Amino acid sequence: MAEEKQDLLQLYRFCFLMLADAAKAEEVFHATLRQAAQQAANGEPPRDRLWFFRNARWRCLEAGERSLQAEDVKLAQDELAAWAPSQIKKLEPQQLAVWISGAPDPQRTALALFYLDEFNYRDLLSVTELKPLELSKLLCDGRRQFQAWLDTTFPVTQT
Amino acid sequence: MSAVQLSRKEKMLVHCAPIREERVDDRALRLALHRARKTEAFAIQQDFDKAATALVQAIPIPQEITDWIPTDTFIAPTRRAWKKYAQNPAFLATGIAVLVIAVVAIFQLVERMNRFPGEPTARRLLTTASSTHAIMLDPVKTDAGALGDFFFMKHRLVHYDVPPEFAELKTLGCRVFDDEEGQRVGQVWVVEKKMQFFLFPAERDPKTGKAREFSGWRSIEQERWAGVVKEQSGVCFMAAVHGSAKDLAPYISKPKG
Repeated sequence: MAEEKQDLLQLYRFCFLMLADAAKAEEVFHATLRQAAQQAANGEPPRDRLWFFRNARWRCLEAGERSLQAEDVKLAQDELAAWAPSQIKKLEPQQLAVWISGAPDPQRTALALFYLDEFNYRDLLSVTELKPLELSKLLCDGRRQFQAWLDTTFPVTQT
Repeated sequence: MSAVQLSRKEKMLVHCAPIREERVDDRALRLALHRARKTEAFAIQQDFDKAATALVQAIPIPQEITDWIPTDTFIAPTRRAWKKYAQNPAFLATGIAVLVIAVVAIFQLVERMNRFPGEPTARRLLTTASSTHAIMLDPVKTDAGALGDFFFMKHRLVHYDVPPEFAELKTLGCRVFDDEEGQRVGQVWVVEKKMQFFLFPAERDPKTGKAREFSGWRSIEQERWAGVVKEQSGVCFMAAVHGSAKDLAPYISKPKG
């Protein structure tokens, strides 16, 4: 049960990363849990914990479609830098969520799930519904784009 | 850090490498990480990922969320992952070995249950049946049931009687001979299905000298010959036929008085 509680806490964080909005994240979290409870009451409980993340993912994407959409632009990329951790430490969780939620899907889902650090490689592939090469490229590009954004936000001279 | 060159597939896997070691449960990924750990780029990637993960874990959880977490589980109980176990080579090998042992044990048990005193003699006589020609027997045309008196009168063989189940069959010939162990054996050839009957002394207990009795019919098969054997009054009767036990089943299924 403790593990399931941890999963549900991470589910909220996932929603938050996908939407960068605490109120909307809470809404999706509640809707997902409500559906799980209904299914359980009907004798068809969710098969595994991945169900919660799959369900919440589509709800987040649906909620995201109703708000401002990110422009489809090619973001700059930088090589990962040794000083990146010190740049990241300067961020607030909200800033990271804004950056991730602004990414196009499925990169958004891939990054949000990956940085939850809750899943193994196969679970990631299963929830994102991506092929290994696609997941790898999205994560690799995501890191480099985030590094470029960090370099712009916190230029090296400031670190 | 040494300049290790990763293959394309290794690079692909390393980009997806989970941050926590315990999440690495894929063999190919583990191998790729083993090589990647010797590179500086991977060390930088890991530091980057750890910092980002720490930031994610710092996302505050509102009280409303904590309150909503149910006390009961919503997830269905895990089914037995027998398929996963079945695919494990060690379990598979053990399973096959156990299955083979079980089959052999059952086979031996069934064989042992079917054994009866006098079985070795019966098997020997099946071989005799397969090599006997009608010409080797003295021609006798009568009912098989009538041969009991003939064996007694001519050869002094007591209780060498054909059981009622086969007594009405017409005979072609008969003979009496000594088998390898010096036992007196009565052999009868009947018209129906070219069946042969053997009458021989039942196996005896070496200590008491008493015949080892068994009840009912016992069947044996050997080299496409089948026999059904019955013991009565210290004498065994065997009906033998070229075929299977099914060919003899109709005769012994309905006992006659």
